[in-house]
Amino acid sequence: MRRILHVDMDAFYASVEQRDHPDLRGRPVAVGGDAEKRGVVAAASYEARTFGVRSAIPMARAKRLCPSLVIVRPDFTKYRAVSQQVFAMFRDVTPLVEPLSLDEAYLDVTENAWGEPLGTTVARRLKDQIRERTGLTASAGVAPNKFLAKIASGWQKPDGLTVIAPERVETFLQSLPIDALWGVGPVTARKLRARGIHKLVDIRTVDPRMLHDTVGSLADWLARLAHGIDDRPVVSERHPKSSGSERTFADDVTDLDDIRDTIRTMARNAAAWLVRHELYARTVTLKVRYDDFTTITRSHSDAPTRDANAIVARARALLEKTEVGERPVRLLGVSVHNFGPEVTPAPEPQARLPFDV
Amino acid sequence: MQLVVRKNDLLRELQLFQGIVERKNTIPILANVLIEANGDEVRMLATDLEVALRSRCPATVGKNGSLTLPAKKLYEILRALPETDVRIEEDKQGVKVSADRFDSRMQTLPREDFPTLPEPSGKARATLPRAALKEMVAKTQFAITGEDTRFFLNGAKFVLKPDSLTMVATDGHRLALVEVMHKVGITEEVGVILPKKTIMELGKLLAEGDGDVLFESGENHLFFEVGDRVLISRMIDGQFPAYERVIPKENDKRIEFEKERLTSAVKRVALLSNERSRSVKVEIGAGKVDVTSSSSEFGEAREELAVEYDGEPLTISFNAQYVLDFLNVVETDVVALSLKDEVSQAVMTPVSAEGYNYTYVIMPMRL
Repeated sequence: MRRILHVDMDAFYASVEQRDHPDLRGRPVAVGGDAEKRGVVAAASYEARTFGVRSAIPMARAKRLCPSLVIVRPDFTKYRAVSQQVFAMFRDVTPLVEPLSLDEAYLDVTENAWGEPLGTTVARRLKDQIRERTGLTASAGVAPNKFLAKIASGWQKPDGLTVIAPERVETFLQSLPIDALWGVGPVTARKLRARGIHKLVDIRTVDPRMLHDTVGSLADWLARLAHGIDDRPVVSERHPKSSGSERTFADDVTDLDDIRDTIRTMARNAAAWLVRHELYARTVTLKVRYDDFTTITRSHSDAPTRDANAIVARARALLEKTEVGERPVRLLGVSVHNFGPEVTPAPEPQARLPFDV
Repeated sequence: MQLVVRKNDLLRELQLFQGIVERKNTIPILANVLIEANGDEVRMLATDLEVALRSRCPATVGKNGSLTLPAKKLYEILRALPETDVRIEEDKQGVKVSADRFDSRMQTLPREDFPTLPEPSGKARATLPRAALKEMVAKTQFAITGEDTRFFLNGAKFVLKPDSLTMVATDGHRLALVEVMHKVGITEEVGVILPKKTIMELGKLLAEGDGDVLFESGENHLFFEVGDRVLISRMIDGQFPAYERVIPKENDKRIEFEKERLTSAVKRVALLSNERSRSVKVEIGAGKVDVTSSSSEFGEAREELAVEYDGEPLTISFNAQYVLDFLNVVETDVVALSLKDEVSQAVMTPVSAEGYNYTYVIMPMRL
């Protein structure tokens, strides 16, 4: 049985602002865009939520709901820094951390660095650590799979800890309304209710064909969830789609040798990154920003490779398609993408006529 | 300009122009056919700058002149008309095409925009036997590569000697060579590469009718005069591969097949070959040949053919399509396959072909 945690920071952006600005504490705070400029709420403090202010609603409406609302412009650099701090704590416990956003993640703590046998203890210790080190609270759910863990973390908020032990899964499932599920929005929920499905467990007894007609491709997934089955693994890193680097020159360059050297360094770095990640890239892209800030990219695709010389050669060959050398260059970038498995070109089965022998 | 022409006369000519004009051509005038009325005939010309066709048909000309019309649209209109007289005339408003109670006004493009094409000089012409030329085209055109980076393979080599004509095409995997002995009426050898499109259009011009074909090689262009029609082609620059070198001389194993039986066997067995490689195995043993295939997706197949053979057993693989391409254009009842070993060029030839030598060289597939 796996032990999965879902950890969700409470009113993350708003809490960070309240932490850093004592005068905002205890007051309804909304982080987001200007009401005058059609901004929306990115996060609302719990004080604001009592007025009905939620994320994603227009700021103008939030202000009407709560005239005393304090609007704070978001500072994502700061939130990202706090997020990194929190995620570092997660990764100290287990390498299996799957970020969902800046303030939310799944952790597979079946094996954990603390050697804790109970997911509950891991969750409590993590929550304590987050409070001590960041001054923020988080809510956690502990369960045998991701879907239950996610529902559990939302059960009590803020600063909650909900545990669904394996023997309590069935009781928990029995209590779930159909719209508690991720993937079941108001429209789907309405369709299901129209068919007499109010609780998740009601799905167990309906005709699969009827379910399919009602919710389409979601049917199989819902049927599995109704039995508490969710095998999705916690995936530690979202599959990267590209890697590369850029360099802005202190003075614009026209010297081709300098440019070729810079490209070689960047292409080699990209190759080293591919080796570290056990990937092969089909596409090499060269980015050039000229002195007038016009920026172009040129790409070349071929058989997947991570060979440094091949990537250097491909990147340099792309120079031919630019005006580098004629126009001063301000910035250069080399990146690799389109990852795929290594392809060893099979010898072509059809032999060729020996014209050249 | 004003003319009246019989619908079927004009339609027959316009049909031949459909392969010449390119619908997606970026130069608008190249989608048009140039129509010139003069005396008692109408002359037509269309080109894609690689190949051009000039033709003519009788007409009652009320007023000499020339104009251009979209070749496809004009053809579609004529095809839709009943057998009748068609009138084409230009007035101040544009070009009118009418017949019976049908009336139309078509978009035209300035005649001045139409490219100028060279005319045959009428000198140094070779006389090519029509039937033989037709054979040569049919038996080689399928081996021309579509879009090879080695541009010289995108055409067929055409060699004229005082007493023979030769056409060769190859895509690098197989090679088709047809040689016809015939006095063509020239004293100096001519060797040119004809673009694939020229070969295809020449094939269409040769399909009907009789009479010799007059051929002339100009500075940059080649002219084939087929009856009242002239096909004008650009030459492909470049060195055609030394094809004589890949025609094996030491193939000591020779098997003769009834063509129909071999064709059916290869067609049937190929149904279960690997979809990409289309590879079929030819297992040669004493008194019989097994044609076999196998693919992980579909399964396997085998068909036995009785042959006269008492040499060493040998197994060789071919792309089934390459074999069928040859069998499809051969008209003799018997064909021969000669081999050296399982990795060298195989040669297929018709047995007792009259009036021409046909050599088809295929590179085997690796087993």
